[in-house]
This record gives sequence, structure tokens and C-alpha cells, in this order.
Amino acid sequence: MARIQLENVKKSFGKVQALNGINIDVKDKEFFVLFGPAGAGKTTILNCIAGINLPEEGMVRFNGEVVNLVDPAHRNVAMVFENYALYPQMTVYDNMAAALRSNLYKTDEETIKEKVHAAARMMKMENLLERLPSQLSNGQKQRVAMGRALVRTPNVFLMDEPLAHLDAKLRNAMRTELKEMQANLGSTCIYVTHDFMEAMALGDRIAIINKGEIVQIGSGDEIYYMPCNEFVAQLMGDPQINILPGEIKESGKGYEFCFQANGQKLAVPMPEEKALFQNIRRAGLKETDMGLRPQNVKYSFTPKEGYFKTTVYSYESIGNKSVIMADCGDYQLRMIAPNGLKIQIDQEIYVSLEVDHSMFFDPQTKEYVSRYDEESIRAFAVEQEVR
Amino acid sequence: MNNGKKRLGYAVQNLLLIIYAVFALFPLIWMFIISLKSDTQVFTTTFVFTPTLSNYKEVLLRSDYVSYMIDSLIISGGAVIVSVIVGVPAAYALARYNFHRKEDLAFQILSFKFAPEILVVLPLFMIYQKLGLYDSYLGLIWVYQLISMPLLIWVVRGYFEDISVEIEYAAQVDGYTWYQIFFKMLVPLIKPGLVSAALLAFIFAWNSFTFPLILAGREIQPITVAITKYLGTDTAHYGQLAVAATVSAVPAMIFALCIQKHLVRGLSFGAVKG
Repeated sequence: MARIQLENVKKSFGKVQALNGINIDVKDKEFFVLFGPAGAGKTTILNCIAGINLPEEGMVRFNGEVVNLVDPAHRNVAMVFENYALYPQMTVYDNMAAALRSNLYKTDEETIKEKVHAAARMMKMENLLERLPSQLSNGQKQRVAMGRALVRTPNVFLMDEPLAHLDAKLRNAMRTELKEMQANLGSTCIYVTHDFMEAMALGDRIAIINKGEIVQIGSGDEIYYMPCNEFVAQLMGDPQINILPGEIKESGKGYEFCFQANGQKLAVPMPEEKALFQNIRRAGLKETDMGLRPQNVKYSFTPKEGYFKTTVYSYESIGNKSVIMADCGDYQLRMIAPNGLKIQIDQEIYVSLEVDHSMFFDPQTKEYVSRYDEESIRAFAVEQEVR
Repeated sequence: MNNGKKRLGYAVQNLLLIIYAVFALFPLIWMFIISLKSDTQVFTTTFVFTPTLSNYKEVLLRSDYVSYMIDSLIISGGAVIVSVIVGVPAAYALARYNFHRKEDLAFQILSFKFAPEILVVLPLFMIYQKLGLYDSYLGLIWVYQLISMPLLIWVVRGYFEDISVEIEYAAQVDGYTWYQIFFKMLVPLIKPGLVSAALLAFIFAWNSFTFPLILAGREIQPITVAITKYLGTDTAHYGQLAVAATVSAVPAMIFALCIQKHLVRGLSFGAVKG
């Protein structure tokens, strides 16, 4: 159980700069999620913490102590590898017991048996203990890899996409289990994933990583509602957020958001909100990218007041709901719809934007500027942090 | 009808295999038959003759045959042991670490097997004379590394490359030291390759003729060189020659049978794929 800090950690492989000045501070007993696209450097961060890769610059601290020169064995970390890394010549039982049989973490066989069986029960694989890894499916191997970490009481659990290869049902069950277990064990856990649902569900805090740099750190809600730039906004959320390029214009007392769809110029009045308008004015924002989550786009199949006309580009089910993509010329608008609608491609659809849920980005830098309800969301995030 | 056709197919298949087996084994059978003939009958009979063990008595009891065998065992066994001790770490390094001109080095090692022995043996003879390695166990074991080392390194390297490096990381994180990882985690995984490569290296070393002929011959006489003694200047004792050859094949056969299980797995690569 430990606090893990990385300070300005840099690591390169040949000419590729894998990590470019990573700073994170994982609190004791925290569930910390590293989230980012493939090749962002998530696994390299884990390897630096485990001591498998040595950073060229920067410090790795466990409980304040610099461990840069401590070898992996003596750091007392438990790691779940993405490709399982099971010992092929050993049975599942021996694989899980391996760490407890090493000279460093020596435990008597009685305790080992107890712990292995407890972990196996948790992973629902007690019937697999006598098998060899070659006789397991990928999902089963992954569970063994998890089990191998769970038998230990390490400084920190490092998990590299441990649920990626499980079937959906087991994954959901495991997700719940994992969160509960981590709370019970009271252990620090650093968890790598590229599944946004997993990140939101598990993480006390989430770090968004891209191209070897930390883009944003915050609680799930904070990152979801106040992404620090368009990249994060697009990463968090499924279906993806809509980004509408447009202009903010003064009209009479208030502002309106002007944009184009299929060549027609449209303007939506922006509901009054002091703080937001102040922020926009301070930023001197004229042109802007508006971000609007798909659930905040309303549609109708008959003409309606305040709705504008487009055509359906696609309609596809994503399980318990569906996504309609509406063609707006240069871009497409995603919106959530129920399943089982009779929709033809290219049929007319009328769309309205709930501007009072939108967020605004600088179109040049793609950085976050402000959004509606910013204050209450910020307050909510702080409240979560305290809890 | 169909059944009959099938059976005929099997019969033809087996017949062809039997013919090939006889073809392949005939020299060995012929050698064995000759070893049981007396010197006169070697030339006058083919399959019908009066078998005699006199050749065996002559070779095994009345000559230094046993000491030649022991020389061969020491040199070949020693060569393989040295190759394993040096070659396995070398193979690991070539498989795992990236260093300057790595592939060149690996190819250089392989290229030792390309050079005809007769080409290098004369300069080696001069060098060995100067160094005092001529006609010594050490000298022969050393020069045999040309035969056994490249084979061992290249086979074992392939096995190391098949083991994912994460397995080593996992073992490190589990608290094992590098030596423990090597012997507990890696050696069991390369064992099939190591054993089969070592056996092949042993057979090549055992059969080597040019090196011991020129670099030894007085004090130390491995079996390949010693066999020529039975070819006298005036007479050729084909019977005794056959005995010497037959018996010298025995150790390799025994080893091969002992490790048969590994041999089949070891020569079909990729046995460790996780």
C-alpha cells in the first residue's frame, strides 16, 4: 500500500519518445486509471513503475522514497500483463503460487494454498487450477494472470488491460468485483484501459494520456463534463461527442450561436448565463467549436419550431439504444434514439440542439474555454474528490 | 469395393515404405553382416556364410579399441559440454539484447560451419604446434567448437526468441533474481531445443575425422581415426573394420533413444508458443 509518484518521467526507445515528462501522484489506496488511445505510452508508464523500464529522466517514488535504482523484484509490485505472461511449463496453481514461492516473498505452502484458492474463487476458475496455460482460452488466461497478482499484498497493483479479453458478461461482473475488492484490500491500483466505460466505472481518478504526455487528470465526471480539449472530449463518451464549428454573435441583449448545415446558415439563441458569457468574452472568442453530447441532440421526423432539416446518414443499434447520424454537409451529427425505429437512409430528419448543455472550445488551439453550468459541475467534482 | 481399394492403397503405401527402409538401412545391415564374417568369407559369400565372433574378439579384446572409444567420448562429450555452457548464454544474448552489429556476429558464428575443415586445418596445425595444443584433449575440444557451437547457438536462439519477454518481466516482478529466472523459467522452456541440438552436435563431433586426423594421432586417437588402423598396409581386415564401425555407432544410438521424446519435439520448432 503506497503512494506512487512520477516526476517528470521521460523514456524513449531509440528515436521514439515514449514518455515525455509524465507527472502523476497516485494517492495511497486510490484506484487510478490510465486512459488513452493505442500507443499513447500507458504500458510504458506501468513498466516504469514496475522497474521493467528505467526512465532516462525523472523520479519514481514509492511513499516518497526514490526507487529508480530498485530492481523490479524488490519494489513489491504485482503486475497483470496484457499478454498474460503466464509460465507455460507450470500449472495454473503453480503460476499463481510462483510469487509466494520466490525467496523474496516466501510463504508456507499452507498459506499459499489458501490464498490461491481464494483468488481462484474470486476469478471463478477453481476448476482450472490443474491445467497448463496452453489448455486455457484467452479469457481464462487473463483470469489466471489476474489471480497471480491478487494472491499478493503488494505496494501497488499494476493492471494492463486485465479485462480486455473477457466476454462482455464476465467483464461486467469482474468490473464490479474488482472495484469492491480494491476497496476491501485497501490497495493502490493503477489500471490501464482503452475502454471508456471501464475507466469511468473504476477510476477514482483518470489520467488521459496521449503521445507520451498527460493531457488531463481528474475524476470521471470532471473529465466527461469538462474535458480540457477536443481530443479528450472525443475520447470520453460513446457515441462520440459532436463538434460543431460556428460563431458566437451578439444579438440584442444575448448571444446566438451561428453555424452551417448543408449550406444553410442557422442561428440558435444561447440561453443567458453570466459566467459563461464572461468567460467567452474574456477569451475573446468569436469563432468557436461547440461540443454537444449525442444525448443533447433532439430529433423529429416532422417539421417543428426550432428544428432544422437534414437527412439521415446512418442508423445503427449499439445494444439498448441506437445512434442516428445526420448528414450536415461538412460534418455529421450523432444523436441517441430508441431501437426499432423504421428509418430509411437519406430520409428527412429535423434536428434541434440543446445549447444549454454545450461546451465551447477554441477552434485554433482546440482547448476548452467554458461550458454551461460550469460552476455546479466544478463544485460536484470537488465534492467527489473529498469523498 | 471401396474398402478393397483402400486396403490396396495401404498395401502399396507400406510396400513403398518398406522398400525405402531397406534401401536406407542396407549399408548398416551390410556392415553388420560383414562384421560376422571371417576374412576369407568376406570376398566369397554374400548372405550365406558361417557367422563368427572372431572379429569382435580381435577388435574389442586384443586391440586398444576401448581406449579409442574413451578418447572419442571425452573429446565429443567435452566439446558438447563446453558448447552448452558457452552457447546457451550466447544464444540468450543474441535473442534478447540489442547491440551493435548483432546480426553480423550471429552470422559470423554460423559461418564457421561453412568453411571446409580441410581449409582451416593446416594453419591450425601450425598454431597448435606452437601453442602446445597438438595432440591434447583441450586442443581437440577447442577445435570441435567449430562444429558444435554454431548449431547449438542457432537452435537455442530460436527457442529464446519464441519465449515472450514478458514472462521474464513477470518473474522479476514475482521476486525472482536473474539466475533463478534463467534456470527456473527459461531453461525448462528451451530444454527440447537444447537437448536435440546437443545430441546433433555430439553426433557431428563424434563423426569428425579431419580435425583429429591432423591435430592429434599419437597420444589421443578418437575412434574415427583409429578405425583406419584396421586397414593395414598389406591387408585390409574388412571384418574388423566393420566391427569397429558398428560398435562406434552404438553410443549415439543409445543417446538418441534416451532422449527420443525431446528429439521429436525439439526439432519441430515453436513448441513454446504461449
